[in-house]
Amino acid sequence: MTMKRIVLLFLGLCVSFSGYAQEKGSVLITNGTVLTITDGNKENTDVLIENGIITRIGKDIPAPKGIKTVDATGKYVMPGIIDAHSHIAAVDVNEWTHPVTAEVSMEESVNPNDINIYWALAGGVTSIHLMHGSANVIGGQNETLKLRYGSSMNDMRFKDAPRTIKFALGENPTRVHGQGFNVQPRTRMGVEQVIRNHFDAALDYRRDRQDYLDARDAYEKGERESPPVPVARNIRMETLVDIIEGEIRVHCHSYRSDEIMMLMRVFEDYGIKSYTFQHANEAFKIAPELRKNNAYTSVFSDWWAYKFEVYYSTAFNASILNANGVINSINSDSGELIRHLNHEAAKTVHYGETSKQDALKMITINPAIQLGIDEKVGSLEEGKHGDVAIWSGHPLSIYSVAEATFIDGQQYFDRSGDPDDMRLDPDPEGSFAEARKRWYEEHGRRGATCMEGAEIRFSKRGMQF
Amino acid sequence: MIKLVRTVICCIALLMALPLDGQTQSIPAQAFENVIIHTADGQVIRGGTIVWRDGLIHAVGKEVAIPFDAFVRDGGDSLHVYPGFIDGMALWGSPGNNGHNGTPEEPGNPGYRRAGIQPHRFPSNHLKTNDDAFSKAVQAGFTTAALAMKGEMMPGQVDLFFINEDMSTKQLLQRGMGIVAQFKEAKGSAYPSTTMGVMAQFRQLFYDAEAQLEQQRYFAAVSSSYPAPPKEKVLEALYPVMQQQQPFFFVANSEQDIKRMFWLQDELKFKAVLVSGREAYKTARELKKRDIPVLAGIDFPEKPEWMRDEEKDKYDQELTPEQERFRERQQKAYRQHMQNIKSLQDAGVNVGFASYGLKVSDVRENLTLLKEEGGLDSPDVLHLLSQSTADILGYGQRMGDLKEGLIANFTVFNKAFSEDKARALYSISNGKVTEFESETDN
Repeated sequence: MTMKRIVLLFLGLCVSFSGYAQEKGSVLITNGTVLTITDGNKENTDVLIENGIITRIGKDIPAPKGIKTVDATGKYVMPGIIDAHSHIAAVDVNEWTHPVTAEVSMEESVNPNDINIYWALAGGVTSIHLMHGSANVIGGQNETLKLRYGSSMNDMRFKDAPRTIKFALGENPTRVHGQGFNVQPRTRMGVEQVIRNHFDAALDYRRDRQDYLDARDAYEKGERESPPVPVARNIRMETLVDIIEGEIRVHCHSYRSDEIMMLMRVFEDYGIKSYTFQHANEAFKIAPELRKNNAYTSVFSDWWAYKFEVYYSTAFNASILNANGVINSINSDSGELIRHLNHEAAKTVHYGETSKQDALKMITINPAIQLGIDEKVGSLEEGKHGDVAIWSGHPLSIYSVAEATFIDGQQYFDRSGDPDDMRLDPDPEGSFAEARKRWYEEHGRRGATCMEGAEIRFSKRGMQF
Repeated sequence: MIKLVRTVICCIALLMALPLDGQTQSIPAQAFENVIIHTADGQVIRGGTIVWRDGLIHAVGKEVAIPFDAFVRDGGDSLHVYPGFIDGMALWGSPGNNGHNGTPEEPGNPGYRRAGIQPHRFPSNHLKTNDDAFSKAVQAGFTTAALAMKGEMMPGQVDLFFINEDMSTKQLLQRGMGIVAQFKEAKGSAYPSTTMGVMAQFRQLFYDAEAQLEQQRYFAAVSSSYPAPPKEKVLEALYPVMQQQQPFFFVANSEQDIKRMFWLQDELKFKAVLVSGREAYKTARELKKRDIPVLAGIDFPEKPEWMRDEEKDKYDQELTPEQERFRERQQKAYRQHMQNIKSLQDAGVNVGFASYGLKVSDVRENLTLLKEEGGLDSPDVLHLLSQSTADILGYGQRMGDLKEGLIANFTVFNKAFSEDKARALYSISNGKVTEFESETDN
């Protein structure tokens, strides 16, 4: 046993005994074509996962005693897919009642028994970015999850993933709040002002709260004669302060290039550096500017025209962004697309002649970078988490399917042993007919969605307008 | 002579006064004799006697001396006496929706009332005494109920009442036993509209209340040069919960919601009593660890059609593997729900009873289900409805059983209460007797 492996094993044990009771597994996957993402493709290669951590990648690795071996001869082994924009596994999606609801968190809106999780696992997905909806300019905080289907709300969390928050520009917040409630923002100008006003208020809050705490401290020590007037802790303002201080990454629902430019200017004014534009259908128009600002994008491969601001779109968007050096991911924002994100990535090869390697990055390491988890997942490297999918063929082929999906070395999907019904939490009084509906709860219990207001819906009958 | 007359008059006056004094000092006792007495711990006393006076049980047992002044009713060796059932949280007499619908001017800032945050409200101030649920409950054997109000996130306080057919606010035993809390969003378009919004709102309320309390304390501590503090009554109502002088009666049913309650408790440090708790069995160990009692509901799931005996033929057909697997899981889920209370008790959790919205007419039927499918026997059910609930409400030394010194709360049935067609003949609540018309009177 090499020293490096001993260290990795120790690291794995430390991870397994700390934090949540998240199950770790061990497995040796042998003789597959390993798509490492960051270190090229390796044929006839083994991947050893011990106690949840990849401890070795190489040829002819002997199976440690008691560890299960999976033969991947003729198959492809790749990192678990990461979806940077999802609403599956949600209880509620949109706290839509105020233009700014930074204090709420999807961390508290997780349904670990949502059947959509299992279907995503069947598509080789191991992590998602569970996002708040896009009804508000500054929505709630998002939560990065590992798809440990049937575990608990706590165990679904991607431990130590950075905090992120949802912003939204354009038609959604102006329609819901301006048109719907007759409050700001009514226009895109108003959207900018809502953000600036709230950031300014947050800075005032930070100062006032700190002044109060200092004064209270001084009063209690007898260094001040009169007591201060309390400034209550304000969780909305605290969250906004955390954004300004760089502790929370912004993921912003956006489409038009002018509003994307606007937000980058706002962020520059407040010193905010880490952000990703979600959807960003017109991002291709400003790819150099995005690159200059180190902004990330997370886009659909070819989905548009579901509302007015999403008409100016192209299937070349992802490829143009990639060619300009923008770290771009392909996301699903859907309980259906998440099941074949490999196909969505493959479209960038088809339309924009992006390399296969870069196409795969868009569903693995690039979303991992955007979520701040790239040191743990997104590629197959020794020391990273054992989040792996085995594919029947090259994952960008339309004919390939995920055969097995592992998270932390624990198998959560096995096509050869796929049971007929994987709904874990049946309603004790509901009918079979109700339970077998395939699309229920795709976007939380109210069907609220990030695509709020769009006239397109997936249903059990397929796509509907 | 004058002296003699004066002395005689004084003596006569004294003699006239004495009986009056005697009457006011000693309210006549009442008793049932020759009855079958069921105590909360499952003992059955046949040919027993129960005596009460001035609202308290004076004596219970087989060989009990009946005071000379007692009004005695003979049970004819066939009437059954049970401790008065206690509802740990009922919505009887609650006003309905208090105008919470519609879109407020600022949906994101609707104000406490519109958001369903009213911890300062007391049921005793809003009680609909003419709610026929009270008379139905009395006839079902209930003599005491902790009353709460319908509403959203914090609909109000919990008040403990004696109940009888002539319900009035004079029967209030304790005002403000705690505050009802639940993960229930504001109605319509108003904040909080989601569970995560409700979670955030709980936190913000505590932080705002802390700041207000601090400012009030500072104001009281200095004589000048300090601004008058606000006195927001919603926030003031939260002080006792913040200081653990009152619990949150937290209504939660799903495993996830119960865990959310744990998260809030860890952060905000309140005492909690879990109410309803349909999936509490999934968190039984944690409830025990946290010493959180459960006022469990019996609003059981409806048995799926395919599991019902009368529908067996209709559903007895060849199943697909998917259907088979679904049925296996559903049957397991159904049984676990039915045995919620038993599972909690087995884990050492203190469990009482709360109807919390269940119709009184369904209580009896569901208690039968609790015995048939819930794993409890009749004494278990009796204990649940009486002593266990009294203990959780902090009244275990005053009611919940038939013992000398306890408040005279009991019901006399024509047969064992768990039998079909058992009917209450008398209800004694805080010593006051209600006699029900017998069938032959009709």
